[in-house]
Amino acid sequence: MAFHPRRAVAVFWKDFLDLRKNKGLLWTMAALPAVLVLVPVGIVYGYAHDPGDPSLRTMALFYDPHVQLSVNAARFLIDKTLTDWFGLYLIMPVFVPIFISSQSVAGEKERRTLEPLLASPVTAAEILAGKSVASLVPAVALSVLAFILLCVLVDAVAWPFTHELLLPNQMWLFGVLVIAPLFAFFGNGVAVLVSARVAEARMAQQLSGLVTLPLIGLVGGQLAGLLKAGTVYYAVEGGVVLLLDAALIVATVRLFDRERLISRWV
Amino acid sequence: MSAIDVSALTKRFGQRAALDRVTFEVHSGEVFGLLGPNGAGKTTTVRILTGLLSPTEGEATVCGLSVRDGGESLRRSVGLLTENPGLYDRLTARENLLFFIKLNELEPSAAWMRAASFLARFGLAGREDEPCGSYSKGMRQKLAIVRAIVHQPKILFLDEPTSGLDPEAARTVRDAIAELAADGSTIVLCSHNLFEVEQLCRRVAVIKTKLLAVATIDSLRKADPVLEIHLAGDPARFSSAVASLPFVPEVSVSDSALRVHLQREDQAPDVISCLASAGARIYSAVPTHTPFEQVYLDLIRQQEVG
Repeated sequence: MAFHPRRAVAVFWKDFLDLRKNKGLLWTMAALPAVLVLVPVGIVYGYAHDPGDPSLRTMALFYDPHVQLSVNAARFLIDKTLTDWFGLYLIMPVFVPIFISSQSVAGEKERRTLEPLLASPVTAAEILAGKSVASLVPAVALSVLAFILLCVLVDAVAWPFTHELLLPNQMWLFGVLVIAPLFAFFGNGVAVLVSARVAEARMAQQLSGLVTLPLIGLVGGQLAGLLKAGTVYYAVEGGVVLLLDAALIVATVRLFDRERLISRWV
Repeated sequence: MSAIDVSALTKRFGQRAALDRVTFEVHSGEVFGLLGPNGAGKTTTVRILTGLLSPTEGEATVCGLSVRDGGESLRRSVGLLTENPGLYDRLTARENLLFFIKLNELEPSAAWMRAASFLARFGLAGREDEPCGSYSKGMRQKLAIVRAIVHQPKILFLDEPTSGLDPEAARTVRDAIAELAADGSTIVLCSHNLFEVEQLCRRVAVIKTKLLAVATIDSLRKADPVLEIHLAGDPARFSSAVASLPFVPEVSVSDSALRVHLQREDQAPDVISCLASAGARIYSAVPTHTPFEQVYLDLIRQQEVG
């Protein structure tokens, strides 16, 4: 069974067009990056606005008891906030494909559009490829745009205090360009797999969304001082997700077939 | 020549048999009815014949391609209209059709010209740039028919094409199907609407998991001919004389007429001779046929009893 890229592109074209016209979904998708950009900007502003606040040293010592007196506590906390925040930022590339793929796969079942689609010459692999790209492109684009906005706003609020650009730094660049796409692939894979098994887009979103819980747990560990985040830490997270991505590809190719989709639906 | 050849087709979902050794054929250029109650296996049959499901046992060929390994070629040869039109509501009619034109890898401008001519025939011209969500049910169904035929399939499967439509919309969809039939398309029509089936189809298969009958509608109706005889006086006086004939399975009296069920139409003269011998004065004797609905219900009931 040959793979016809033109048919996969047709699926991408239709899904992308449908997404552009789905205002409700676009607003929902925009809310997440807005929160993930504005909250750290607010925190950095708080530290940079009053860097002489004596309570900042107490906070810095909580996170690192060995922090030197020569190190400015506000700057230490700003750096720590930006490093830890990347863990939460990763929720975005996971969640956006979940929003989109749940709508595009389980949504097709729900709206009864899947049967005519499956009765056309397009193969399951072409559907899978087209839908995945239609979900990954907005997720990665949104992640990069949110990162650019984060850089601009963080540097704007921190500049009066630091007099240097804090973002982009090496860790964030590596994270946004390498780790985030791996996480986006993971979110999409989970959503496609779950969507193939359930009948409703909402249920697919809720079940797939559960995969963000470990991420939130890890950030909780960072904030509690139990885990120390950094480039290596995020690279290890990325490595684990890469392995999960490979497992998801195998599972999805095996489970995403016409008969299973039709039989599960009826 | 057979467009579809179905032989001992069986489909099980777990332990439950949805189809059990069903056999029939559909000739090229005919409109063939697939009838049966809800859950009889009509949709399963269509899904197998359109390459969406694989049979558990048996074989079927569509345009000479096996449903087991016909795959993409088979799906290119057929068009499917599902009970629910399954349109993308946020997309316009043009975008819906272009999507399927792309999936079928057709030359876009030629395919769109063809689609536009069908839209015009079905009264949808000028509405192609409106979102499908704003269409009425009848318009949606007609657009779905255009989508099913845009790639010029050799065989068109219509699963409950007028289900849930108001009488006017159902009429326009029926007219659209009749136009396609007049063009010589091979059409398989699944429907509960026996009036529609009588209007559009010549041959039908009645299934209820198993095949109950496959024949022309005329032959199914003629299989149980009835002679309606109007007599002077009370017709009930002569019913026992007629009932004594060995080839008469049933005699009834209604509206001052004697209704005599026959095994074959050519037995009618013997009934008339019998009545004349018994002294009956006959005004008229008209051979009639059991309504198709009655034939269908009898077939379903016979299987339930069996």
